[in-house]
Amino acid sequence: MNGQASPAGIYVHVPFCLTRCGYCDFNAYADLDELKPRYLAALEAEATLTAPGWAGTPFVSVFLGGGTPTTMRPEDLAALLAHLRTSFDLANDAEVTIEANPDTVDVGSLRALLEAGYDRLSMGAQSFDLAVLSALERIHRPDAVRMAFAAARDAGYANVNLDLIYGAEGETVESWEHTLRETIELAPEHVSAYALTIEPATPLGRKVASGASPEPDPDLQAEMFLIACDLLRDAGYRRYEISNWAKPGFECRHNLGYWERRPYVGLGAGAHAYRDDVRWWNVRPPETYLEMVEAGELPIGGSESLDPSDAYLEEVFLRLRILEGVPASWFEEARYEPFLASGLLDDELGQLVPTERGMLLLNELVLGLTA
Amino acid sequence: MSTEISHIRNFCIVAHIDHGKSTLADRMLEFTHTVDARQMRAQYLDKMDLERERGITIKAQAVRLLHDGYELNLIDTPGHVDFTYEVSRSLEACEGAVLLVDAAQGLEAQTLANYHLARDAGLVIVPALNKIDLPAAEPERRTEELSNLLGCEPGDILHVSAKTGEGVDELLAAIVARVPAPVGDLSAPLQALIFDSAFDAYRGVITYVRVKQGTLPSNAKVKMFATNVTSEAEEAGVMAPEATPVDALGPGEVGYLVTGLKDVHHAKVGDTITLAGKLGATEPLPGYREPKPMVWSGLFPSEGGDYSELREALDKLKLSDSSLVYEPEVSQALGFGYRVGFLGLLHMDIVRERLEREFDLELISTAPNVEFHVFRSDEESVVHNPAEMPAGGDYDRVEEPVVYATIITPSEYLGAVFELCQVRRGEMVDMSYLTPERVEVHYVLPLAEIVFDFFDQLKSGTRGYASLDYEPWGFKESKLVRVDVLLHGEPVDAFSSVVHRDKAYAYGKKMTERLKELIPRQLFDVAVQASVGAKVIARETVKAKRKDVLAKCYGGDITRKRKLLEGQKKGKERMRRVGKVDVPQDAFIAALRIDDKAAKK
Repeated sequence: MNGQASPAGIYVHVPFCLTRCGYCDFNAYADLDELKPRYLAALEAEATLTAPGWAGTPFVSVFLGGGTPTTMRPEDLAALLAHLRTSFDLANDAEVTIEANPDTVDVGSLRALLEAGYDRLSMGAQSFDLAVLSALERIHRPDAVRMAFAAARDAGYANVNLDLIYGAEGETVESWEHTLRETIELAPEHVSAYALTIEPATPLGRKVASGASPEPDPDLQAEMFLIACDLLRDAGYRRYEISNWAKPGFECRHNLGYWERRPYVGLGAGAHAYRDDVRWWNVRPPETYLEMVEAGELPIGGSESLDPSDAYLEEVFLRLRILEGVPASWFEEARYEPFLASGLLDDELGQLVPTERGMLLLNELVLGLTA
Repeated sequence: MSTEISHIRNFCIVAHIDHGKSTLADRMLEFTHTVDARQMRAQYLDKMDLERERGITIKAQAVRLLHDGYELNLIDTPGHVDFTYEVSRSLEACEGAVLLVDAAQGLEAQTLANYHLARDAGLVIVPALNKIDLPAAEPERRTEELSNLLGCEPGDILHVSAKTGEGVDELLAAIVARVPAPVGDLSAPLQALIFDSAFDAYRGVITYVRVKQGTLPSNAKVKMFATNVTSEAEEAGVMAPEATPVDALGPGEVGYLVTGLKDVHHAKVGDTITLAGKLGATEPLPGYREPKPMVWSGLFPSEGGDYSELREALDKLKLSDSSLVYEPEVSQALGFGYRVGFLGLLHMDIVRERLEREFDLELISTAPNVEFHVFRSDEESVVHNPAEMPAGGDYDRVEEPVVYATIITPSEYLGAVFELCQVRRGEMVDMSYLTPERVEVHYVLPLAEIVFDFFDQLKSGTRGYASLDYEPWGFKESKLVRVDVLLHGEPVDAFSSVVHRDKAYAYGKKMTERLKELIPRQLFDVAVQASVGAKVIARETVKAKRKDVLAKCYGGDITRKRKLLEGQKKGKERMRRVGKVDVPQDAFIAALRIDDKAAKK
């Protein structure tokens, strides 16, 4: 590689959870707690193994995702971050995010995490409607979010995200507005709001397939998206990606790295990594991951090399997700003109940016532009 | 050498489907030692795989049985309404017919229809009750039914079990005794009736013939009257039951001729073979008719399929099926294909199945339709494709084919039969009681109504007891209109249908409702309309799609997301465009197929 390497991110996957939620198809387990000590050691070992391949790459973000990383002890998480700092060239002002569930944190643990360097907290609130939470099989109550959020503030967190999910069974527009208002009242710096997606290989997916639960209504979800856009905008948040809103300056640097196709390291079971049009990923089952790392092997499960057309397609659909958009000069006018005319795209100084309606039909935009 | 003419008996078996015709033929082969018991297999004469599986015989065939010094030629007739003309030609080759009736089921429509054909052809009828070993057999009642019909003595009716072989010897004896020997002048110029023809990949066109007069030598230069084609014949022979060459076929004899022709259209069923040149006859035998398709359907290669493969397959199939006709058709919905004419619904199924099975094609077929005669300022045009029918009002009158239908039903279901025929625009001709419990009804019905699930409705309305047979009965004026189905204002040709004015609304409503469910949502509202001429008679709306995006797309999701988009892209490329609307071919297939499903209810 020539010249300066692009700034990169580090993703660390923690596959442990208190319980499994019905909609979640992440690589997460509620019954593997006894693996935690080995897993922590393996993450550190993997970092040591991997780091030489990334020598000279400056890292600007770390993201501990899961699973529920806060099911690990704060001192272990502190040690892990310290190890990453010694292994990789991590900037002093790097953004370091940790995901948490309300039931797994308190002022003490959060203070410890902040002191350790985890300066951004992303909390899975999902909803402030008890009925919606139980439809999602979340174990916490709405109050737990408020308490955990207050605890984060008490601990000194100045950069907090709340995750929300809309469109679960039984959720109404009113309920969703209520959840948004409650969220806005807490005034986190960042809000992620996701339309519930049914994944086939989940308990919820099977319920939908068997007809026991309804498929989310896409029209209602579209409505809810537009409501989120309105309410969050009015509250001073800026939507900088389809499902992400932030107060100015609080956009998640790490996630922007994915959408801007910057490189990232992936550590932990099933974690993905990417650099220069090559993507590779670790083996998914935690036990296999542990065995490979403990044997001194890189735990790689697979990889793909993007050919120019793959890379182009990714570039287009990822860029359309974020505010920046794609340059109009990439396409023939006949491709995007109808979308401008029908109000799905805006032309902002030569950049094509989806409107709110267009964001909802992003797949159609991508297909129409790149056909 | 040839058998003495007085010792020849040519006969066929007339029976309703499942009344045991093929099993009886098997027993006859066995009892006359024509086929070794070791080589015997069920339904020996039904040669093609397809026939054996469907349990029906589609190609007439002749087999020679030797019995007590007599040569018995069993001519197998097709047992389906689609092949009435073929049946009539086979009957022409016989002097007698065994009328075989299931002793449990009794007379059925097909038996009656074929009996009438046989009687009209001057054949001697040998009545026989089959399946007399069945516990449900009612020989007395069936004997009464049959003797009433035939005006014969109850004692003339033979009792047979084709399954056990009981009574088969007696039946063979009755055939010898009652069926007259053929007559024919040995020295007269050759006239041989083609009652079937087939294409063999190695030997070319093989015709099955009945020599009426003169002699057909094994390798003569022959002429086909209807087509005026001459050819060096390669071999004459008899089926015993395997092909066995003979020096010549004499008057009264039945056998095959390897014609040396390469195209079945040169040797058509019903045509007469004579010798080429001065020795030949000057006149053909009467009764030849061109095969006439009754039912039409568009056939299209399915997704990714190749139009030229379909063309080649049809061209090849035509070599062995002289009644198959087709013309190219371009549908904006289904692409390039053919409008194919069939003798009837069974023929359509068989052709479709052979195309798919023998040529490995995947096909989409449009709902079958009949042929319409459109009259406009004294000009008559024939329309095979509903999409080509002039729009409402742009003609003076339209005629549609009608059939003369024979229905036999238990009298308790007579009401249901009346109602069905009424709804299907039928006109009753007459009705008579075969026995106090069973009624024979005749109706003139539009063929279009028969084509559209009539038989299934008849069966379900009579708990499966009614039977149906019909024959073409000319054309009749009718208040027909073309109903178009429009997507976003563009007509979809594959869904156009010609229906009676009173049924237009129901058809339009059904199609628009169905398509509303099948057409994927687009970026704009899509109107699904049915219209007659400029008048919209039904309307549904496919609401614009509002959401098509994956909410989450982080590091691990990107590959999956890209593949999803690539899949969507491929799906889009495969879609058909109707005006501005993208429609997956699956939706067309489903919309056309539900018709079939509804028809099977």
